[in-house]
Amino acid sequence: MAVHQTLLSGTVRSPSRRANLLRNQRRAGYSMLLPMGIVIAAVTLFPILYSVWMSFNDVHLTTNGFALSFTGLANYRVLATSGVFWHSVWFTVYYAVVTVAVELMLGMLIALAINGVRRLKDVSLVIMLIPWSLITVISAQMWAYIYNGVYGVFNAILQALHLIGGPVTWLGTPGLAIVAMMVADIWKTTPFVVIVLLAGLQMIPDEYHEAAYIDGANRWHAFWRVTFPMLRGSIALAGLFRILQAFGVFDLPFVLTNGGPGTATESLAILGYETLFQNLHFGTGTAVAVSTVVMVLAVCLVFLSAFRSMVETEGA
Amino acid sequence: MVQSRSRTAVGYMVLILFLLLILLPFVWMLLTSFKSPLEISQYPPTFIPERFTSGNYHDAFSRYGFAGYIRNSVIVSVASTFCVLALASMAGFAVARLPIRSKGALMVALLVISMFPPIAIVTPLYMLLRTVGWLNSYQALIIPYTAFNLPFAVWILRNYFLQVPGALLEAATVDGATVFQSFWRIFLPLTRPGLFTAAVFTFVAAWTEFFMALVFNSSDSMRTIPVGIALFSGQYNVPYGTIFAGSVVSLVPIVVLVILFRKWIVSGLTSGAVKG
Repeated sequence: MAVHQTLLSGTVRSPSRRANLLRNQRRAGYSMLLPMGIVIAAVTLFPILYSVWMSFNDVHLTTNGFALSFTGLANYRVLATSGVFWHSVWFTVYYAVVTVAVELMLGMLIALAINGVRRLKDVSLVIMLIPWSLITVISAQMWAYIYNGVYGVFNAILQALHLIGGPVTWLGTPGLAIVAMMVADIWKTTPFVVIVLLAGLQMIPDEYHEAAYIDGANRWHAFWRVTFPMLRGSIALAGLFRILQAFGVFDLPFVLTNGGPGTATESLAILGYETLFQNLHFGTGTAVAVSTVVMVLAVCLVFLSAFRSMVETEGA
Repeated sequence: MVQSRSRTAVGYMVLILFLLLILLPFVWMLLTSFKSPLEISQYPPTFIPERFTSGNYHDAFSRYGFAGYIRNSVIVSVASTFCVLALASMAGFAVARLPIRSKGALMVALLVISMFPPIAIVTPLYMLLRTVGWLNSYQALIIPYTAFNLPFAVWILRNYFLQVPGALLEAATVDGATVFQSFWRIFLPLTRPGLFTAAVFTFVAAWTEFFMALVFNSSDSMRTIPVGIALFSGQYNVPYGTIFAGSVVSLVPIVVLVILFRKWIVSGLTSGAVKG
C-alpha cells in the first residue's frame, strides 16, 4: 500500500516538477537575454525609429538638448529636388555595383586558380587576412600618397613605362578619382572574397567534378553546373556583406577626396555626414540616412532574389 | 596528371602575384615611414630610403598624439570586446539551450538589425550623448560598438553552444546547479573557440571603426587611431612620414592578432556560408 502510494505520488509529481524546471529555465533564459535586449533596443532599435521620426521634423540644437518641430515630408521634398542628393545616390549605386561585381568576379577567378594549390600555407592566409583587418583610413592614406599628383609613385611607374606623358592628378579629376577609389576598395576587400570563396570551394568533394568530367562536361560546364551551385552560399554571403559595406562607403572618400573633386565622389554617407555634422541640418540629414537604409535593404533583397533565381536556372 | 600539374603551377603563380599585390602598398608605406620629409615629397620617388631615419616615429609619438590615439583605441576595443562577450555568450546560450519562445524570430531580427548602416542610428545617438554630456568619452564608443557587434557574436556563439550536448544541462540541474552555474562552469569553457572568434571580430571591428568615432569623439585627446590618422594634417603639406609611422605601429597589434587567431577568423568569415 505504502509502496503503491509513493509510486503514484511520484508519477503525479514528476510532470509538475518537469513543468517547474521548464519554467525556471525559461525564466533564466529571458534574464540572460535581457542585457543584450536592453543594449540593442537602446542603441539600435530606438535610434532607428527615432531617425525616421526626426526625418519628418525640423531639428534644432539647443544649449543642452534639441528641439523638434513637425514638418511632414518637407525634408524629403528637399531631397527629391536636390541635384546633389540624386548625384550621391547615383554615385553610391554605381560605386557599389562596380566594386562588388569586380570583387566577386576577381575573387572567384583567384580562388579557382589557387584552389589548385594543394596546401595553402599559413603565411598566405595571414597575408590575405591583413587587408581585411586593416583600418580603412590607413589604406586610404596609403593610396592617397600612391596616387598623389605631384610626387605619387603611381605616376612614376606609369611614366617609367611610358604610359603617360606627365604626372596625372588622379584624385583631382572626377572620372579618375572614382576609378582610383574603386581600385583602393578592390585592393582591400578582394582578399576577403577570396578567403570566403576558397573555403566554399574546399568543401566541394572532388568526386563531383570527376563525375562531371566522366559525363563529358568541359571545364566551363563543370563550373556552371557543379562548382557555382555548390558555392551559392559563399557567394551570397560575400556579396551581401560587400553590398552592405559598399553602400555605406565613407572612410575612403573622406580621406582620399573628401567627396570631391566637386561632388564627384560624394557618397550617401558623406552627404549625410556633411548635412548632419557640418551644416547641422539634422532633419534633412536624417532624411538622407533613412533613404540610404531603405535603399540598402531594397538592394539586398533584390540581390538575394536575383541570385536565387540565377542559381536555380543555372543549376537546373 | 600533366593537366593537374600545370594547374598547380598556374595556381602558384596566381597566388604569388596576388600576395605581392597585397603586400606592395604595405612595403611602400613601411619604406616611406623611414624617409625624411624631403625625400617623401621627391619626384620621381626613391624606392629604398637614401638615408634611414626614425625621425617620423619620433615625431608621431613625442611631438604628436599617436600614443594617445593608440591608447584610446586599445581601451575602446578591449572594453567593447569584453562587453560583447559577456552579453552575447549569455544570449547565445539562452537561445541555444534554454526553452525560450520564438527563438527563430529573435535570430532573424538580430540578422536584420546587423544590416542597418551606422548612419541610420548616428543622429539620435549623437543627440542623446550630447544631452547627457558623453560626447568625447570612452563610453560614447564602447556602448555603440557593443551593440553593433552583438548580433554576429550571438550567431557565432549560439552555433557553438548547440554543439555542446544539452544533456549536460540536465545532468548539472540534477546535481543541483542553477542554470547560470551550468552556463558559467560547464558550457562557457567548452565554447572557447567560439569566444575567440567573437572576440577577434569585435576587436577588429572596434579597432577599424571610423564613422561613429569621428562623430562622437573628435576632440584631439579622445581620438581613436582612425580618427587621429584621418584628421592628421600639417601646416602646408600632408605629413605622410608621420602618418605612416603611426600607421605602421598601429598595424602591429592587429597583425599579431591575425597571426594568432587566423583559424578562428576564417571559421568566423565562413560560418554563414555553411548554412547557405
